[in-house]
Amino acid sequence: MHVIIFSWEYPPRIVGQLAYYVKELATQLTKSGIEIHVVTYHDYLTGESNEQNGLKTYRVTNPVRTHIGVLTWVLTLNQEVERAAADIYYRAHKKVDLIDAHDWHFIPAAVTLKKALGIPFIYSVESLEEHRSHGANSPFNMAIKSIEWLGMYEAQRLIVKSEWMREEVSRIYKVPLEKISVVKPKSQGWLKSILEIYREVAGGKNVKCET
Amino acid sequence: MRDITVMMLTWEFPPRIIGGISPHVYNLSKSLAKKNIKVYVVTCDFPGAPQHEVLDGVEVFRVDSYKNPSPDFATWVYLMNVNMQKEAAAIVRSLDGKVDIFHAHDWLVADAGIGLKHVFRKPLLATIHSTEIGRRNGIHFDYERMIHETEAWLTYEAWKVICCSNYMISHVKWAFGLPEDKLVMVPNGVNVDAYTKNETEDLQQFRNKFALPEEKIVLFVGRLVYEKGVHVLVNAVPKVLEKVNAKFIIVGNGYMKEQLSDLIRNMGLSHKVLFTGFVDDDTLRKLQKCADVSVVPSLFEPFGIVALEAMAAKSPVVVSDTGGLSEIVEHDVDGVKVYVNNPESLAWGITRVLTNEKYADWIRNNAFKKVKEKYNWDEIANQTKRVYDTVLEEYSRSAWT
Repeated sequence: MHVIIFSWEYPPRIVGQLAYYVKELATQLTKSGIEIHVVTYHDYLTGESNEQNGLKTYRVTNPVRTHIGVLTWVLTLNQEVERAAADIYYRAHKKVDLIDAHDWHFIPAAVTLKKALGIPFIYSVESLEEHRSHGANSPFNMAIKSIEWLGMYEAQRLIVKSEWMREEVSRIYKVPLEKISVVKPKSQGWLKSILEIYREVAGGKNVKCET
Repeated sequence: MRDITVMMLTWEFPPRIIGGISPHVYNLSKSLAKKNIKVYVVTCDFPGAPQHEVLDGVEVFRVDSYKNPSPDFATWVYLMNVNMQKEAAAIVRSLDGKVDIFHAHDWLVADAGIGLKHVFRKPLLATIHSTEIGRRNGIHFDYERMIHETEAWLTYEAWKVICCSNYMISHVKWAFGLPEDKLVMVPNGVNVDAYTKNETEDLQQFRNKFALPEEKIVLFVGRLVYEKGVHVLVNAVPKVLEKVNAKFIIVGNGYMKEQLSDLIRNMGLSHKVLFTGFVDDDTLRKLQKCADVSVVPSLFEPFGIVALEAMAAKSPVVVSDTGGLSEIVEHDVDGVKVYVNNPESLAWGITRVLTNEKYADWIRNNAFKKVKEKYNWDEIANQTKRVYDTVLEEYSRSAWT
């Protein structure tokens, strides 16, 4: 199975918790025999790719250096993410089974790749704009929320890290509960659960009923 | 079988008209379709316009542009591009990827064009109609620099860059540091038939709505923004009125409107200057036909389509000697050129046309001949097709095929 993971933070670039989690996830998945490509951002460690123990990372940088905020920065960066992902896709002879997009930043790229190349994606939710901005609803927050909404609508499946988040995603974005799986990082059998979800999404299954 | 399939990306397409890109893409697409090129246009939606239609042989898709309130214009552009890209991707996939070229018009669709190029691995072509550094007369803030760099990025990713005048070619080459062989000049055009089809109609009654019979009409058409130099015209008004009885008609909207009408009021000339706001195509063409002189006093003008329209309407033109206007008009042959940002010079040019009828007829007739021969869409479509052929030939030898 070929999987591309999108994350805006990945060691050595660490913004919060997400970088460590994605690194651990990618490492463990590679060990279990899955072909993992991580596409992430770094401002100078860029280049085609880097491979360590079978795990491939692609670091892209923003083609537009000057920005007025994180939103415009993210939106122009998405094209580079698409370019890197498309390169992986064509080099793998069009055999990419799914994309796992962590948080909202590269959702536009995941959606375009789905529409263009038919690659399904999973939206792994780390946090939500609603909580990050304490319910603020300026045009800026609204734009980020609209991207989160787009991701939830277009994703084949959502993975969240707690029961609470599952309820919140369902409450705020009206996502059907059966579309959302809870996988607590590093809890017992977490990797197995992720693998199961990957296999289902790669196999074209839409929804799995979670109890 | 069609020779080539092109997907045009544009933020405006009729009936959505904001500036010159909309009529440009419409006329170009229509003329290309007549040359056995399959043209898809992907553009922003517009109230009342269908999401999907075939218009004069061109297949148009109007996509849901981002409609929540946006922090600012540029952020809206990037958000709109998320939708445009997503929808265009779905359309291309439904066509089994059978699109040969993506043709993007200005930075407003840069993200979508670049993204589509990479996911489908098809060549991207860009037409640069205007630049931020030109519009703002320099780059002063991060906001402007961001747009400037987005434009640079689009030209970097494009296989070839089309500009509408030699002036724009050298401007774009300088602004983004592009190699000479990446740039191609294809002029803009004007649809002369739209002006000649009702040649015999009586416009006297129409004219009476705007001016007294004894007043000459001086017409300005354009966005009321700094770069269009409408303030130069306003400052020229009293100088013209010293010599000729005239009515100044200013068509268009923009952030300078209030400031300009205040200025006119303070001059005590409100009865001599009429701000019409945005008018429909038909009214605009009639106004251009009635105008005794059309002025284009731009400070920055990549091409100057409005001058061509006036020439097609057989209205004598007075233009500032800058940018594309310098190339369109030959002084004393098919128009009058005046100094840039100089009300004295502009008033001189206007007066020169209005006080000498034989001279006005001479430039009017020469100008009409010129637009018919040089700036017709059929010829422009031929030139554009040649650019497509070149790009596809080069592409066929690239690593992506």
